[in-house]
Amino acid sequence: MTTAVRLRLERADDVPRRLAEVVAGVARRAGLAERAAYRLRLAVDELATNVVTHGYHGGPGRLDVAAGYDADWVWLRLEDDAPPFDPRSHDSAPALDGPPREGGYGIFLALTNVDSFDYARIGGRNRSTLLMRRPGARVPAGVDAGGVDTVAVDSAVTDDGGTDGQYGTGRR
Amino acid sequence: MAFQTRTHVEGDVASIKLVGELDSRAAHRFNGVIAELTAQPLTRLVLLMEELSYMSSAGLRCLVFAHQKLGRGVEIVLVGTQQAVAETINLTGFDRSVVMQDPLGT
Repeated sequence: MTTAVRLRLERADDVPRRLAEVVAGVARRAGLAERAAYRLRLAVDELATNVVTHGYHGGPGRLDVAAGYDADWVWLRLEDDAPPFDPRSHDSAPALDGPPREGGYGIFLALTNVDSFDYARIGGRNRSTLLMRRPGARVPAGVDAGGVDTVAVDSAVTDDGGTDGQYGTGRR
Repeated sequence: MAFQTRTHVEGDVASIKLVGELDSRAAHRFNGVIAELTAQPLTRLVLLMEELSYMSSAGLRCLVFAHQKLGRGVEIVLVGTQQAVAETINLTGFDRSVVMQDPLGT
């Protein structure tokens, strides 16, 4: 069974809270453990805030959110119209020596907290898919979920969020 | 849950009780709370974390901000951090730049 959530985000200030609601809803329906739901929420929060801050530079833009589950996976998909950015290409591992730096943790946290992650540039849009295994899932870690249905969602992002990562070709 | 703080300064030790969820939106306010302490001659900043149920990387940057604003000589102590929040701190190596303590009396 696959279900999906549709929401409209009016302000970037609302993004973390609304995404938390989406994750809580799908996690509850799918029977996801509390710890896994927390990790999924953290991951999508980091990616979405990154889109708002660095993809749209705090300006207006669309962020489409869909979530659902099947027998083995809980999935959440983000799509945006920002310049191409594959989070997997971001040098996100924190430096293990020296003082902590101010940026660069969000993408790292996103990619390390999900059970599987996929990125694609489709139709001129960034599409990130985050997956968590459901309790009792038949698929082992690291196996992609394959095709899942999705429902696109419109959202108007008009304000600043504040996280790390960078779009385009340069890195800080 | 909305993010709330309560600050108490006694001598050269400031303590801030954190309640709720520290995401990118709340981080701006928390940085403001930290900035207000810069006029104090502190040696230690104690963050009471027991009721902080969520923290994103924006919260980690608040810790960096605290180090920068208060100076490296000010020890930052996190008390009673919930396990999920502690995992984020440990995963990013921040546990090496702060002191992680169990709740007092346990």
